[in-house]
Amino acid sequence: MTEPRPPARFAIGNSSDIVTARQAARALSAHLGFGKAHQTRLATAVSELTRNVIQYAGEGSCLIEDLSDDQERVIRISIEDHGPGIPNLPLAMEDGFSTSGGLGAGLPGARRLVDDFHVSSAPGLTRVVIAIRKPA
Amino acid sequence: MTVSLPQFLQAHRDEMLAEWLAEWSSSSAVGLAATSSTAQTRHVMQTLFDEILSQLMVAPQDPPPGLDEHAPLCKHLRHLAAEQARHPEVATDPMRMMFSLRHLLLRHVSTWIREAGTTPVAEHLVQVNRYFDQIALFVFNNIINLRDRHISEQSLSLMELSTPVLRLWHRILLLPLVGIIDTGRARQVTDHLLEAIARHEARVTVIDLTGVPIIDTSVAQHIMKTIDAARLLGSRVVLTGISPEGAQTLTKLGIRFGDVICRATLRAGIAEALLIIGKRITAMEDQAR
Ligand SMILES: Nc1ncnc2c1ncn2[C@@H]1O[C@H](COP(=O)(O)OP(=O)(O)OP(=O)(O)O)[C@@H](O)[C@H]1O
Ligand SMILES: [Mg+2]
Repeated sequence: MTEPRPPARFAIGNSSDIVTARQAARALSAHLGFGKAHQTRLATAVSELTRNVIQYAGEGSCLIEDLSDDQERVIRISIEDHGPGIPNLPLAMEDGFSTSGGLGAGLPGARRLVDDFHVSSAPGLTRVVIAIRKPA
Repeated sequence: MTVSLPQFLQAHRDEMLAEWLAEWSSSSAVGLAATSSTAQTRHVMQTLFDEILSQLMVAPQDPPPGLDEHAPLCKHLRHLAAEQARHPEVATDPMRMMFSLRHLLLRHVSTWIREAGTTPVAEHLVQVNRYFDQIALFVFNNIINLRDRHISEQSLSLMELSTPVLRLWHRILLLPLVGIIDTGRARQVTDHLLEAIARHEARVTVIDLTGVPIIDTSVAQHIMKTIDAARLLGSRVVLTGISPEGAQTLTKLGIRFGDVICRATLRAGIAEALLIIGKRITAMEDQAR
């Protein structure tokens, strides 16, 4: 098995950072042998979550980690910001709920795009952790 | 006998200018010296030199007067900056040129101070330095402004380039979307498209997404708005070029493009568009029969 890649952290502050982060996610998933569909799903989820950071918190960060071991290829991505937080999380996770006139598909859609999805939010810290995995 | 600083500078003017020119042309085999004609550079340098010298001949003031934007000096400094902007590989040349002159003048003023031996020593040196600080700031600001303008012009023309609306056939338009669709570009694309639909009375618009790397919810929403607007003008929309993994992702996101006609490839989309206006592409022998 190849050495896991070192974690990479990206500052998220403008729309070109979204592109940088999702390209890094796609590149790592391609490197670890995930298929095209998996790559696109992961990149799209990163795109959604980082755009939420910019849209609702102004800035934040995106940490991409390779947690693969002998049994499994795992990519974990943690996206967090220190913005106002999501007031009603269950509502925000519903399809079609948006406070910005968007489609309201970002959070619920991202959850369906990846294998693991955890979100926690309070004023001052919103963190979404996603992961994709496949057998080695 | 002591000479005043203006007298001293006046007496050494030719000598100092020659020294500066010689030093410059030997130090820069490339750059300004190479890109613009020597005569032109000499002319610019000579004018700059005389302007700067005349400033140093007046009594030192505290604080020193700011540079006069309209004076010939600033005109020539702007010219230097513009020259630099055109040759980014010699980015530091204008500054280097000014710093070499400062060095030279400081040396001569020091000589004068030593020979005259009377005046407060620091004052004159400080004045030269301050004056050159202003010049350096002025040149630097100019270079930055020119660069900024250059960059925004480039990104504007890139935006223009990447959103062509093509007339595919009589009353059929093709909008190939390429790259990143953000709010600014989406608006621009829609404007272009609507204008073209009206101008050509288009009945069908083929929007091709082959060149869009990621279709996330915001891109999807932009495309939906474009489609709605096209429909309001009476054009049907055929959407093409969504990759299999893109389609799967859109489904997971829960996004549907209403009752738009979707085709996997641009080829199939064009066939569909022709069908809508009652045309079809056939082989030549069919016609002969
Ligand atoms: N990082 C965040 N900080 C604060 N609020 C957030 C954050 N992310 C999401 N939200 C809230 O949750 C709502 C739902 O987010 P979601 O991404 O699902 O939809 P959206 O951003 O409104 O639209 P889109 O479909 O374009 O993504 C948002 O409208 C916003 O109110
Ligand atoms: Mg969103």
